[in-house]
Amino acid sequence: MSVEIGGIGSSVKRKEDARFIRGKGKYVDDVKLPGMLYLDIARSPYAHARIKSIDTSKALKIPGVAAVITGKDLVPLNLHWMPTLMSDKQMVLPTDTVLYQAQEVAAVVATERYIAADGVAAIEVEYEPLPVVVDPKKALEPGAPVLREDREQKNNHIWHWEVGDKAGTDKAFRDAEVVVKQDLYIPRIHVASIETCGIVASWDKVEGKLTVWMTTQAPHAIRTVIALVAGHLGLAEHKIRVISPDIGGGFGGKVPVYPGYVLAIGASVLTGAPVKWIEDRSENIQADSFARDYHISAELAAKKDGTMQALRVKTIADHGAFDAAANPSKYPAGLFHIITGSYPFQKSFVEVDGAYTNKPPGGIAYRCSFRVTEAAFTIERLVDVLALELKKDPAALRMQNFIKPEAFPYKSALGWEYDSGDYGRALKLAMDTIDYAGLRKEQATKRAKGELMGIGISSFTEIVGAGPSKQFDILGIKMFDSAEIRVHPTGKAMVRLGVKSQGQGHETTFAQIVAEELGLPVGDIAVEEGDTDTAPYGLGTYASRSTPVAGGATAIAARKIREKARLIAAHLLEANPDDVEWKDYKFQVKGVPAKTKTMQEVAFAAYTNHPQGMEAGLEAVDYYDPPNLTYPFGSYICVVDIDRGTGEVKIRRFVAVDDCGTIINPMIVEGQIHGGLTMGLAPALYEQITYDEQGNIQGGNFMDYLLPTAMETPNWETAKTTTPSPHHPIGAKGVGESATVGAPAAIANAVVDALAHLGVRHIDIPITPWKVQQILKANGAAE
Amino acid sequence: MRFEGTLDIAAPRDRVWAFLTDPKQVTTCAPDVQSLDLTDPTHFKVVVKAGVGPIKGTFNMSVEFIDLRAPEHAEVLARGQAPGSAVEMRNTMDLVAAGERTTLRWASDVTVNGMIAQVGARLMQGAADKITQQVFSCIQVKLESPASAGISANPA
Repeated sequence: MSVEIGGIGSSVKRKEDARFIRGKGKYVDDVKLPGMLYLDIARSPYAHARIKSIDTSKALKIPGVAAVITGKDLVPLNLHWMPTLMSDKQMVLPTDTVLYQAQEVAAVVATERYIAADGVAAIEVEYEPLPVVVDPKKALEPGAPVLREDREQKNNHIWHWEVGDKAGTDKAFRDAEVVVKQDLYIPRIHVASIETCGIVASWDKVEGKLTVWMTTQAPHAIRTVIALVAGHLGLAEHKIRVISPDIGGGFGGKVPVYPGYVLAIGASVLTGAPVKWIEDRSENIQADSFARDYHISAELAAKKDGTMQALRVKTIADHGAFDAAANPSKYPAGLFHIITGSYPFQKSFVEVDGAYTNKPPGGIAYRCSFRVTEAAFTIERLVDVLALELKKDPAALRMQNFIKPEAFPYKSALGWEYDSGDYGRALKLAMDTIDYAGLRKEQATKRAKGELMGIGISSFTEIVGAGPSKQFDILGIKMFDSAEIRVHPTGKAMVRLGVKSQGQGHETTFAQIVAEELGLPVGDIAVEEGDTDTAPYGLGTYASRSTPVAGGATAIAARKIREKARLIAAHLLEANPDDVEWKDYKFQVKGVPAKTKTMQEVAFAAYTNHPQGMEAGLEAVDYYDPPNLTYPFGSYICVVDIDRGTGEVKIRRFVAVDDCGTIINPMIVEGQIHGGLTMGLAPALYEQITYDEQGNIQGGNFMDYLLPTAMETPNWETAKTTTPSPHHPIGAKGVGESATVGAPAAIANAVVDALAHLGVRHIDIPITPWKVQQILKANGAAE
Repeated sequence: MRFEGTLDIAAPRDRVWAFLTDPKQVTTCAPDVQSLDLTDPTHFKVVVKAGVGPIKGTFNMSVEFIDLRAPEHAEVLARGQAPGSAVEMRNTMDLVAAGERTTLRWASDVTVNGMIAQVGARLMQGAADKITQQVFSCIQVKLESPASAGISANPA
């Protein structure tokens, strides 16, 4: 029955794909309004410079240019700075100093996109270059140029954050039989979603109402931010409508507010016309929020028999010119303290220092629930370093140490309460699927012949579903989420959510939850998101929070409806409500299988024949405040072959066993994992953004920033175990990010494993052919 | 980025000096000059078109002779911008006379910011070599041709 109605566990085809595969999706750039103007942005070629003058006269003379906006124009409106989500502030347009290359310097509004670009080219800015700081370690040294003159604190240190028992951890390290230490750099990367960011802002002077269509993962939060930032200009929250239409990938990059959004809104208010701003690809990669950029120094203390005891981690977080990360307010380093991973460390201590540099701002999650990739990569790499040190098999070392299934709910040394897990089962399934023992034999044979083959494991634990209101908020707004369900008289339903799909398939999966709870066919349930005028308030979709949080809201709202429906069913069945039960997706008088009412019959009655004294209608709202986070996990095994001539790493096999608790739609989950694995492969072997000494971006376009395509992507093999979350209404944990979090360490571990006999212990990602070739040459192993 | 080289010119040192320190003459060998605007004897503005790989731009350059020790040493600072890019060049040249010939030793420290530095970084060396070769072969041809003797007879 569940499969017939498309309930939980059915591979229902994605309802939204009907329009996507026909090219009928409606994205921001599809919005076209009469009289619309186009905005383009002049950006700084310097990473750090004083602006001596800006001459806009030539731009203003170009026919079709309606306005040019500079920082000075925004000062009287108090819009030249805006708050970030992390208690910092960010320039909308500079008044005197630019802090990174590609920073917004001025905006041109024109009747055509091309004219706007001509206007940008005609703006003359005189700069005086200033000393550039690109290395966060140098930024924190005494005497480094102070980048943020606006701050009272005259250095580049943003914040220090620490968690854990320092004294106890230090003692454990002093007493330890074995200590391994590894420095790791997790490079700056970019989400590079297929659709760049954009907005259409339309100010209605008569109604005093602002409507914006915008690529945002969190439309409700954006509405509140607009009201807070521009409230003094007369924009009130009930007259701000944010519409987030179809989105071509977000991955965290569409959470922050970018200056271009503010400029487009400002330009619409200024000109009285709708204004569209759509980034080009280079602007997207060069100026939008980056991810990662963590310089980590990690130590692990263990017994000689391999028992892991303590973990100590020191990190410098490069945030660029402004701390514009998108973490929950209380966690400046996100949930990095999930770094104890799948292992029961007795003592742990983690500290992170944020630094300003002359680079674009950010520090967003990028498909990893707030710094979880950094954490998972570090611990899973470190475990392999320990295995090498102790000459133990990395699979056996993991099996020996895993938190045992009976230990859940498990309280970690850094304060998290893991909901459920069975790590050994997942790793064993991965090992059986890939024939781990056979691969080790093959490796020994090949190594004897001089061939390079490696096997890498990653047994990661994630932390998603932010989050419980006692710990989690963004700008003070608690991280609950919401669902509103209306069942119409003919038994069709409309579901509206506070989250917002960017390709995840919400129109299908959330309909499946309602189908399961109400017994309505999935095709009879419409899901609508992203319009703040109609949807209930929620914090949006990122950090794998939609299913854990809004999924909980949906199930509970549906159960509220079902409870009312039961009373109506009793009325229709002329039975005592206590005698009516929900069975096989219908209401039935207990013990009388012939006396049933379907949800459709009840829905009709709710509007045509409801019991006297009861409110008519059949609808409910739920604002779900999760009692805990959820902890998806998995074990990945990667097999690589290395070309001794070119240094190229070839992934021969990759088996991913994921456990995300209850699965709503297996097909969608598999798709999420395939995409996530490819996004995990990317930083492991290809992607990174670096800067030269002057702060010039190296990797600011698709010629230099290598995204894996179908050519580079191996065949992914997926399998699953199912360990439901005990506290979630349907037992689901979230899976949007697991593979991105888990994959990089498996690949890096496989490459190091292939080269371990040469004395290699670690290689920083991305592991490019050049890096491997240098190692081979240094060890006389190159062909 | 630093570029340097030596060029042997079959022309007397005074004539080479006069040519290289006269904005009107020397810019005839610069690539794709759009306009030249003399501010005073040591300052001038020149608009040139230049490109590295796929990125091309029109650069508005402000040039200044910051150290002139005739006829042996000159230092020139050139700063300029094209949309999205900025360039700064600090050039030095030393002239050594060898009878009727002159040896020109030159060096150029170039700082590039913006689009050209991003996209063209890996192509910069090749592009610079090509431009340098064009400029110096032009200088050589002009100074060694008989027609130029008349121009350079007037000391600067």
